[in-house]
Amino acid sequence: MSTCPIIDCDVHQNNPLVEQLVEYLDEPYRTELARYGFRRLASGIRGEDGGNRRDLDAKSFGDPTYFRSTLLDRYGHRFALLSGFTGPIAGIPDPDYVDAICRGLNNFYMEHWLPVDNRFRLGIKIPLQDPVAAVREIERLAGAPQIAAVCFFATANRIAFGNRYYWPIYEACQRHGLPIHIHPSTGSTMANASMTPAGEATTYLESHVCMPQFYMAQTASMVLNGVFEKFPALRVVLVEGGIAWLPHLLWRMDAEFKALRQQAPFLKRMPSEYVRDHIRLTTQPIEEPAEAEHLQQIFNMVDADHIVMYASDFPHYDFDEPTKLPCILGETTIRRILHDNACDFFNLPLVEPTHKAA
Amino acid sequence: MAWQSVFAADELPEGGRKFYSIGKREIGIFRHRGKLYAALNYCPHAGAPICMGEVDHPISTKGPGGSTIRDFDHPTIRCPWHHWEFDLQTGKSLCPISRRIKTYTVREEDGHIWISL
Repeated sequence: MSTCPIIDCDVHQNNPLVEQLVEYLDEPYRTELARYGFRRLASGIRGEDGGNRRDLDAKSFGDPTYFRSTLLDRYGHRFALLSGFTGPIAGIPDPDYVDAICRGLNNFYMEHWLPVDNRFRLGIKIPLQDPVAAVREIERLAGAPQIAAVCFFATANRIAFGNRYYWPIYEACQRHGLPIHIHPSTGSTMANASMTPAGEATTYLESHVCMPQFYMAQTASMVLNGVFEKFPALRVVLVEGGIAWLPHLLWRMDAEFKALRQQAPFLKRMPSEYVRDHIRLTTQPIEEPAEAEHLQQIFNMVDADHIVMYASDFPHYDFDEPTKLPCILGETTIRRILHDNACDFFNLPLVEPTHKAA
Repeated sequence: MAWQSVFAADELPEGGRKFYSIGKREIGIFRHRGKLYAALNYCPHAGAPICMGEVDHPISTKGPGGSTIRDFDHPTIRCPWHHWEFDLQTGKSLCPISRRIKTYTVREEDGHIWISL
């Protein structure tokens, strides 16, 4: 166990089985799910080479007590954000169906996972396909115990996140102090066919390598369309998209803004400043250059002491242990990444209040 | 600081610009919407002849989605090389950065245009 308490921004509990979820759905979806299972989009590429760690008991990935012993107790987690899976909802075109599945999943996790350990926090699912229904779900759950974030899927949208289409959702998140957790919406079943800006990926390998491109596009979209000028208290965490691309994007946004400010006259600050104040990135999968000091240089360029947070991606195959952050980053930076930055982000006290015995 | 007569006023019609050299410095002088402006012909970014650029009017909004206006009272000069934009009166960048262009006080009197150097 690490001596530093850990806040883990990305933990994947399994979806409930269809027979577990049906009772959390209203008709007509209860019968549909029982009869046909989840609706799926598929890109035709093989994702099964990714997936979960093979050294663990896959049958237990739907069991919160297994996550408690295998992750929380083992590494000293203070807080694990349950982000689940987006496969059953991301990219599915029918908003009513997605709305029903989101509500069912949220209710299921609140009943079966959160009461098991108060270190679990839930990222709630919302139907991005319908902002009105999405806001309704946020209103329904905001303020409930252990609800810590609102999940967005990064890679299966027809409309980029800077678009005003999402403003009602951002307004609700800001009003309730709920950060947005943006995660790739891919897995063994891909949520859309074209997985890179250049066209369709041929393999899971190619699509997974290209994941940062989605985060670059979403970051540029949100910043340059004034999302953080419009919603000054909104916070966003980019999960599983890497970090090393960020210096380039910051420099390029600032350079282009100096030339083309008239196309974004609502920005009162340089684009990079909005990133520093509103956006956080997570470690997993951390870049692994041959020279560790190269990673340190990049971390310095992006002010990692303030904007990088730890994520394990447990129990996926590309899981990163909290103990394996490169020592060269130094003790202070590592502590900030493992714990302190996420405390700020999720509005947790740095130290637990001491409870006196009754 | 001294006032220097640079040329006859009628050599600079409305909407025009002329250049005046003093030593190694070149100064662009503009008559725009009835007012005179003068700036050093040197962009602090990459040394381009900024006064060869387009005179424009800054766009501002009341925030994303808010009404947008074009401010005709505060003309800007956009550098011809990289389109950095500066206020012709104050020399300040339209972006929140510290670099600025050098501007001069300019007036018209006795049929001449004068610059304070």
